[in-house]
Amino acid sequence: MEYAIETIGLTKIFSDWWGRARVYAVDDLNLQILPNEVFGLLGPNGSGKTTTIKMLLGLLHPTKGHALILGGDGTDPKISKRIGFLPEESYLYRFLNARETLDFYGRLFGLDSKTRQVRIEALLEMVGLKAVASRPVGTYSKGMARRIGLAQALINDPDLLILDEPTTGLDPIGTRQIKDLILKLAERGKTVLLCSHLLADVEDVCHRIAILYGGKVQAQGRVKDLLQQTNKTQIVTDTVSDAAVSRIRQILSDEHAEYEVTAPMEKLETFFIKTVVEAQQQATPTSGAVSTTQIGDFLTAGGRQENILDKLVSTSVSEKTPAEPVQTEAVQPREVVPPTANKDLLSKLTQAGASPQTERVSPTPVETPSEVRQEEVKKGVLDKLTKNDAANPPSAIRHPPSKDGGSGHA
Amino acid sequence: MRRVWAVATNTIRQAMRMKVAAVFIVLLLVLLPVMGFTATGDGTLKGRLQTFVSYGLSLTSLLLSLLTIIVSIYTVTSDIEHRQIYTVVTKPIRRYQIILGKVLGVIVLDVALLVLFAGIVYGVTAWLPKFVNATQEERQAVDNEFYTARASLVPPLADVQKEVEATYRKLSKEDLATIYPNMSQEEVFKQLTNRKRLEKRAAAVGQWLVWEFHNVKVRDPNQSLFVRFKYDVSVTPQDEQVYGRWQVGDPRQFQQGAQGPGQTPVWEQTRKDIVRKFHELEVPASVVAKDGYLAVGFYNPPPLNDTVVLFPLDDGLEVLYKADTFAGNFLRAALLILCRLVFLACLGALAASFLSFPVAILFCIVIFVTGTASGFIVDSFGYMDQNISRIYTYTVQAILQLLPQFDKYNPTKFLVPARLMTWSLLGEVALVMVMIKGLLLLALALLIFSFRELAKVVV
Ligand SMILES: Nc1ncnc2c1ncn2[C@@H]1O[C@H](COP(=O)(O)OP(=O)(O)O)[C@@H](O)[C@H]1O
Ligand SMILES: [Mg+2]
Repeated sequence: MEYAIETIGLTKIFSDWWGRARVYAVDDLNLQILPNEVFGLLGPNGSGKTTTIKMLLGLLHPTKGHALILGGDGTDPKISKRIGFLPEESYLYRFLNARETLDFYGRLFGLDSKTRQVRIEALLEMVGLKAVASRPVGTYSKGMARRIGLAQALINDPDLLILDEPTTGLDPIGTRQIKDLILKLAERGKTVLLCSHLLADVEDVCHRIAILYGGKVQAQGRVKDLLQQTNKTQIVTDTVSDAAVSRIRQILSDEHAEYEVTAPMEKLETFFIKTVVEAQQQATPTSGAVSTTQIGDFLTAGGRQENILDKLVSTSVSEKTPAEPVQTEAVQPREVVPPTANKDLLSKLTQAGASPQTERVSPTPVETPSEVRQEEVKKGVLDKLTKNDAANPPSAIRHPPSKDGGSGHA
Repeated sequence: MRRVWAVATNTIRQAMRMKVAAVFIVLLLVLLPVMGFTATGDGTLKGRLQTFVSYGLSLTSLLLSLLTIIVSIYTVTSDIEHRQIYTVVTKPIRRYQIILGKVLGVIVLDVALLVLFAGIVYGVTAWLPKFVNATQEERQAVDNEFYTARASLVPPLADVQKEVEATYRKLSKEDLATIYPNMSQEEVFKQLTNRKRLEKRAAAVGQWLVWEFHNVKVRDPNQSLFVRFKYDVSVTPQDEQVYGRWQVGDPRQFQQGAQGPGQTPVWEQTRKDIVRKFHELEVPASVVAKDGYLAVGFYNPPPLNDTVVLFPLDDGLEVLYKADTFAGNFLRAALLILCRLVFLACLGALAASFLSFPVAILFCIVIFVTGTASGFIVDSFGYMDQNISRIYTYTVQAILQLLPQFDKYNPTKFLVPARLMTWSLLGEVALVMVMIKGLLLLALALLIFSFRELAKVVV
């Protein structure tokens, strides 16, 4: 069996100029990533994710062990031809504009000018930078630079995509888009190595994950296996009558089960995207990245032009994710936010940064009741991993008054 | 190759975005024309042109050299420092191709800038006489002694080894101790050799000196050739001037058994010149025999002079003749500068392959300056190596030989006195400076860069 990426006892020790102060950045790492797998490499800052990638790509020499990538050496042009790489930060030539940047990288891949042209336009469209494509990338905001970095990684239609913290600096739509892209690529048989400390990113898209700490793998396995709580059951229904609810409560009490009845919350991500789409439909001008985007044609073999956003707002996205979404929600219904409060929400969102789930959002009408919700706070692996309390919801009410239970609507 | 070219074009863009490049270019664009009208030299038209060409080309060469050093280093170190290199080396391109692309980009930039600036210098030089007042005489002198490329024939140094050995043998131990105190045998030989050679180039009163030249290839027999000479004397006359009777031509035709037809004219002149200064005799080129033979004779006339007249060994006498045009010479001078720039681009790539920006710049500037003063440095070691151990000769001097010898091949050394720079000289410089030294540096750079850990951060 050939792995897409295989590391055998991979070790990297950094020492200072005198050979002192040794840092075990990566310590005896054994990873096996299968072709057509979306693999998440998780870990807190400084756990060795980036160092691992650098060794895979030949930017650093391993102190011990080997790294095989697509069955060979990452520096071999035959292999690097099939790899797309988005580094930790988008290291771009500041004096080139977006189009020139992509053209340069396209030329490094030896693509002919026609292919380059087609792909550049498709990618610019996809990452929403078409309108600003003639500005030097040195003037871009971090997120915009990130987008062009992503486009750069895709210009060769890679078989293996290595993304190092792809979502840092990106707005939620960009984040969502990257996740969609990863899923799309996986559908097409590509392999993705996703490094992140943002748990939500990884959780939504990865088939398997490994959690690094101190350069060592602490846990590894399928996301489903790692996260599934075998001792809990979740039932999601359309709004049902109070009578039905109390009958169910009765049954559950008879079973002596601990339970909780709430209205499912919409994910903030979904809500945010919906808000921005509405704003865009009203043609609010922006000098930033435009988010009505498709995934580059040449990346989706079928070539079917589809608007990702349609799917995003219809919440069907979460069904597609291979991993079970682990949503933790505040269940207390709060006063309804009038439509004008959307701006508030946006500003809160930017402060909240990378962990939108922790925000308390007033429930808004749920469009598709099929959205899967889970009531329990999971004190799982993911929680322990980060000091970041992202996974801890502000409140989860175990036994809410039965009357309020199912009514999230105003 | 396409990938190398992609890196090269990107390097050119990068260089054009650098403020230094822009500053240098603007500086040259302003300074060169200004210099054309401010450089006056000794006031004559010729002096003016010589000063301009000398300053103009030197400045161009200096600034382009510095620019080459800075750009070739910056383009590599900046990519590493700002980590764009991460996204480049992970593409299907070999590391050596990246360095080749960078060096190629710098060279293409150099060629473009050199064409521009050498073009300006040439343009100003060619048009300057039209804009200044000058006598007809001055213009004539400029045509003969500046707008041309003259080949130089220097009489070979006489072989005096046997005589020196004979003289040395005759010297007794006491003689040696008194005449040459504290000198090694080698040094005594050196002195004796010089003295004997000078004797061969000294004319006592009433004596002839004849120099013979072969293979004199004159472009056009209707033009002139020039005998450039400098007198030295044993007793300086009161007015510091001596007489000389000169004959230039083919004396074989007057010898017995020489064929009648096919005779060439013989030029003759008696003149009075200041000693220890250069003078030129203008002689019609038709005096050169068909087979390229030419003899120059000097006679120390008895009643007029009362001193021995000598022609110093290094520059006492030479024959100059027009062998090419000024344009041809200028082109080769520009190519010579290009050789220098190519060498520096390779040097910059090497320095950048393992040093950080400031250190690499320092390293290259030191080598550049050393190369510019290489003759001086080699000489100073030359004086030393007899007294101090021979280790110097084999280490320091060997290293110095590896350095570029910019001063030895300075283009203005040819253009100012309108000396012919031959293609073979240029070829030799290109071979040594570019093909051997430059490629050696480049190969080393490629090797180091290929095996370097690019993501390693050194604080
Ligand atoms: N060039 C370097 N020199 C010394 N230490 C380094 C170097 N690069 C990374 N490290 C150290 O190695 C560890 C792992 O870093 P990294 O792989 O970048 O972490 P992350 O998982 O956040 O990507 C950190 O402790 C970091 O300080
Ligand atoms: Mg990292």
